[in-house]
Amino acid sequence: MRNVVERVLNTLIYLLESPHPVTAEEIRRTVPGYSQDSDEAFHRMFERDKELLRQLGVPIKLDALDVWEVDFGYTVDPDEYAIPDPGLTPEERAALSLAARIVQLGGSHAGLDGLRKLGGVEQGVAFEPFGADLGAEGETLGAVFDAVVQRSPIEFTYREGRRKLNPYGIAFRRGHWYLVGVTTEGERVYRIDRISAIDKGEPGGFERPAGFNPSTFLQSQPWEAGGDEEVKATVRFDPEVAWWASRTLGVEHSEGHLEVTIPVSNRDAFVGWVLSFGPSAEILAPEELRRDLMDRVTAAVDGVVA
Amino acid sequence: MSSQKTVSRLSRILGLIPYVLANPGVSTEEVMERFGYSRSELTRDLNAVFVCGLPGYGPGELMEAYIDEDEVVIDSADYFSRAPRLAPIEALGLLAAALAVSGSGQGTPALDSAIAKLSDVLLPEADATLAVDLPPSTDSATTLKRAAAENRVTHIVYRSLSREETTERDIEPWLVFSTLGNWYVMAHCRLVDDMRTFRIDRIRSVEVLEERFDPPDEIPEPGVGYSPSDNDVTATIDLFPGARWVLEYYPVEILEEGDDHVRIRFSATDPELPARLLLRLGGSARLVEGPDVSERLKHLGKALSDRYG
Repeated sequence: MRNVVERVLNTLIYLLESPHPVTAEEIRRTVPGYSQDSDEAFHRMFERDKELLRQLGVPIKLDALDVWEVDFGYTVDPDEYAIPDPGLTPEERAALSLAARIVQLGGSHAGLDGLRKLGGVEQGVAFEPFGADLGAEGETLGAVFDAVVQRSPIEFTYREGRRKLNPYGIAFRRGHWYLVGVTTEGERVYRIDRISAIDKGEPGGFERPAGFNPSTFLQSQPWEAGGDEEVKATVRFDPEVAWWASRTLGVEHSEGHLEVTIPVSNRDAFVGWVLSFGPSAEILAPEELRRDLMDRVTAAVDGVVA
Repeated sequence: MSSQKTVSRLSRILGLIPYVLANPGVSTEEVMERFGYSRSELTRDLNAVFVCGLPGYGPGELMEAYIDEDEVVIDSADYFSRAPRLAPIEALGLLAAALAVSGSGQGTPALDSAIAKLSDVLLPEADATLAVDLPPSTDSATTLKRAAAENRVTHIVYRSLSREETTERDIEPWLVFSTLGNWYVMAHCRLVDDMRTFRIDRIRSVEVLEERFDPPDEIPEPGVGYSPSDNDVTATIDLFPGARWVLEYYPVEILEEGDDHVRIRFSATDPELPARLLLRLGGSARLVEGPDVSERLKHLGKALSDRYG
């Protein structure tokens, strides 16, 4: 374990500098740290190191060693390994340094790792009392984003079923990451944290329409994002919670209670939201939503085992 | 060493080498600040680089890497002379961080031009495929941000998330942050004389006072994690598939994963919070144990059926 950093660096240099693809066996014989292990131990170690290189973003490829395509070896193209210099000015670097420091993704400062590859953070960036956590589990999100950037069609598991889609873009809204893409049935939106077992197709496998913008596919309130037939619901919020509801809804409110009519296309989400106000809010109409709400309350109270 | 830590360490080394090659004579101080190194970490990584190089691994084949009179020296490493490609999550992390700040009204012209330059390099043919919308910043959030920047004591009227009560308190705001789709302020609360995190949309009014406070030397990482204490109310709850999202939103303890449900222990300072949550969940959850919560839930159910008649 102590030598993993050195072993990976040596392997990477070997692959970058070798004029021909290198077989696993050659790596084992050449790079220090591998040779003394059994076949099985070597393969386990080598697989793990390759995975590390991939996680680092190193474009490691398997190429045929000869025209008959009998033997294969690994290679890293120096031009694919490197990234063009974005030519950041010190002011631009300072602005990015601040953003990368205060915004987290996947529980870590992945943006800082990225900025370090591009020459590090600017010195003397002042502290700002502001931060954001863009949540999400990093590995799935990274894989989906990679497919978006490379235009690779993907297949994945979502709510028990396999889905196939051309990933157009991703968007962060209301604390979650969403994937927007096109299936044979049209445009679809998926919550990325509910996606698993991704299979990626060939890069460049589809064309993205010009001017595509993923955020136009996302609704701003949870009860607007559903397949239910739209109904207009009227809700009364008592004075002690009216100010708070008015902020969520973005409507004017000065004093006293608040009565508003809201278009609803996801009834479950809407009933859940109204219930979060407890007995301080009441759906006045339509009758069916009042019934949905009371059914939910009855189920909750009846579900008590204790 | 976990694989994430190894990746992070290697990533930093692969960024460090081209930077030092392009800036010969760079000071140890600058390298430490640019790459977030402590002196011992930097020495350790230079020592690792020093024993790597081309096959043969003799003196002529290895890279040179050491600290000389407070300068960082790296040589014989031409293959690492260009900056390496970013891993997808690093590219996304950097772009999303920049877009989040820019979209929340904190942007500057320099940040916007940096985003344009990064997009050219990181998303050569995938422009505009990424959108990051933090929840809209409210007047209260803007005021609290200013109060935090100026270290000013602030008076707030707050409606508690877990209790049915409105309190007035003086707070020393440290940091305003966004997570799980909401804005929060992390502060020292003078009412309880302890650190507290307040959800900003529950703050009814904000008044910045004249008095200034001494901010702590180091502000803890922001988060809405909840640390249970002995005085807490606990409840055992079964979550069925439609209610699994609770695991992501609340700091709960998983007791058991069943075939069709997951059993959790929910802790809160007040039974109101789990009771309201159970109301929302309806038939997709079941309260297995928790007398206080059960009583509270029945009370809420009664109040609602009275209201709905």
